[in-house]
Amino acid sequence: MPSLGTWLAAFFTLCMLSFLYKDNPFFRIAESFFAGLSLGYYIGIVANQTIKPNLVLPLMQEFSTNWHLLFAGGLGVMLYFRYIKRVAWVSRWALAVYVGYYVGVNMMQKLHGEVLPQVGDTMLSLNWAGIGTLWNLIMVVGVLSVLIYFYFSAEHKGAVGGISRVGIWFLMVSFGAAFGYTVMGRISLLIGRMVFLVNEWARPLIGLIT
Amino acid sequence: MNLERIMQVDRRIIYLFVAAGTILPIIFVIGLPVSITPPVQMAFDRIENQLNPGDVVLVSFDYGPSSAPENAPMADAILRHCFSKGIKVIVIAFYPLGGLSEAVNELNTVVAEFPDLEYGVDYVNLGYKDGAQAAMRKMNENIHEVFPTDLRGTPTGEIPMMKNVKTYADVKLCVTLATGIIGEWWANLVNAQFGLPVIVGPTAVSAPKYYAYLEAKQMVGLLGGLKGASEYERLVVNKYPHLAEVYATPGLYTATKGMDVQSIVHLIMIAFILFGNVVYFTGKRKPRKAA
Amino acid sequence: MRKQVPLLLTFCAGMIPIIALFVPERHVSTVSTTLDSWLIIVAGFALLLGVVNVIQMNTNKIRRKSSGWPYAIVLLAGLAIMGTFGFAGAFDVFGGIATRPDGSSTPFDWLYQNAFLPLQGTMFALLAFFMASASYRAFRARNVEATILLIAALIVMFGRIPFGEMVTKWFPITTEWIMARPNMAAQRGIMIGAGLGAASMALRVIVGIERSYLGLGKGE
Repeated sequence: MPSLGTWLAAFFTLCMLSFLYKDNPFFRIAESFFAGLSLGYYIGIVANQTIKPNLVLPLMQEFSTNWHLLFAGGLGVMLYFRYIKRVAWVSRWALAVYVGYYVGVNMMQKLHGEVLPQVGDTMLSLNWAGIGTLWNLIMVVGVLSVLIYFYFSAEHKGAVGGISRVGIWFLMVSFGAAFGYTVMGRISLLIGRMVFLVNEWARPLIGLIT
Repeated sequence: MNLERIMQVDRRIIYLFVAAGTILPIIFVIGLPVSITPPVQMAFDRIENQLNPGDVVLVSFDYGPSSAPENAPMADAILRHCFSKGIKVIVIAFYPLGGLSEAVNELNTVVAEFPDLEYGVDYVNLGYKDGAQAAMRKMNENIHEVFPTDLRGTPTGEIPMMKNVKTYADVKLCVTLATGIIGEWWANLVNAQFGLPVIVGPTAVSAPKYYAYLEAKQMVGLLGGLKGASEYERLVVNKYPHLAEVYATPGLYTATKGMDVQSIVHLIMIAFILFGNVVYFTGKRKPRKAA
Repeated sequence: MRKQVPLLLTFCAGMIPIIALFVPERHVSTVSTTLDSWLIIVAGFALLLGVVNVIQMNTNKIRRKSSGWPYAIVLLAGLAIMGTFGFAGAFDVFGGIATRPDGSSTPFDWLYQNAFLPLQGTMFALLAFFMASASYRAFRARNVEATILLIAALIVMFGRIPFGEMVTKWFPITTEWIMARPNMAAQRGIMIGAGLGAASMALRVIVGIERSYLGLGKGE
């Protein structure tokens, strides 16, 4: 006999799947409950995995070394001042630090971790040395034509238009491949749920009935 | 038969085809072969040929239930590979909506198959941390400060295998099972700035863009979606035949079994797309015929 | 002051990680890694901002008995149950939020396995059905570009399944070539373009040209 937990999981799965027939209260209840559970999950993991071990315990156990974490806690609490009209302006300070930091990190990530390595790897040898050179040519032409397609400061006419067209073809191949992979990805998610319904819920139930 | 009317068929009929295509191969297992692609072979070779027993690998669970059917089999295969080879594993999670729980699930599942492993000596679960990019940067300076305790509340410094693991320099490799952008951060932040080799197991939706990172040597292997997971399972079973028994467990969901279902549904989708285009082109030709 | 100080803070917080990358000096590294520690904690607080927002919105909905208000009760109930077990787990009540050492589930973990996981998993699984229906109705080779897209999609879809290799070995070989060459070239072009765009946007935020994140317009 499937356990209570399996029955609950199967119930929620079927509630969600019922949307395929049409929108109905079971689906809406399941959807709303899921939204609530997600937020409750956030509370659990943030409290348990970040606030407690990285802020509360270091301050309680070794305050002399970790006193600077008070600033971190202060910034975190300041974020919530936005909900109090009189002091909402204080939350901007915390937001400024938060946004500034992650924007600075992202800038270096993008330039140092994406643009430079990708540009560097595109500088391939076009000296004929076999079929590999043809693939190198495809790569260089592909990258340059796609970049030119995305350059909207010049009108896409004449030579620029022609190269942009090639760029569009490369993009279409990429999007087609991405579509194929996306189909694969979505079907995988369906397989996971169906395996649960068939193997963990339906089979034990049918076994019990027969 | 009026092709135009078939095109207007209720979408729920299409859903029934997809549902049948999914359920039937689960009940009647086909057992199709799996071929290996170079990116997955590279990932396997990195762990098999360039790591030694006792080396430490970081496995980051950066996915949740939204992509667990794809990423969980990858995680299981990687963990089984590492444990079979005697590699020590540090498990962490950066995905907020389920990363921690998925890490606990998969670690518990795989560890149960290796009764000789000892927590804290052969593997450890350091749990989840917010602010992934900040945590990744800080880990280069001090992993113990980012994860002061493990999931059980034990101070990290008191865990035997963590005594000599303080920074990325003490770790040989990171394997991230990722949905969304966190996998990219391992490549364009950790590998780019700190030089830690990275293998990424992204979902199939994200996999196409990781080829650019792989080609630029910002990654040392790639397991793309369920297909990638099934290939890795095949490689692991070929190298460690005792794992074949595990993968043959009835009712156990594996990527290889999932690929059977994937194959049937893909054929259904391809048939739908081709049929739709046949009707489209037939419809385009008709007005000319009438003239 | 209320506008200048945040802009100054953004500049300082943004410049520290950038300078730390180029200046491997001890004091600079100390400031940078300290900021890293702080932002792990601030990110945790930021993640919960949405919770407060949702509670506000849904309590207003219930109070005003707006359309769909019973579902707001369900949402808040789910939040309260999961949040209570999660918060209590931080005090080691019920054994935490993961599985206990003996393998049994804590209430938080039980709810995750039997409610959250099936709900989210199925929500995303629905996309497979919608994708099938949309492909059937809309995926047409209307022009050259759409035809290229269609052919690439069909080759990849067929090449990635075992049947493709059973028909001919060239399907998986062609699929792998498409992924490793033209797809990779296009993705690289997108990545370079998007990377440059993101970096320039980041610079605008750091130097204070872009201020919308603070709720300020350009002239303010």
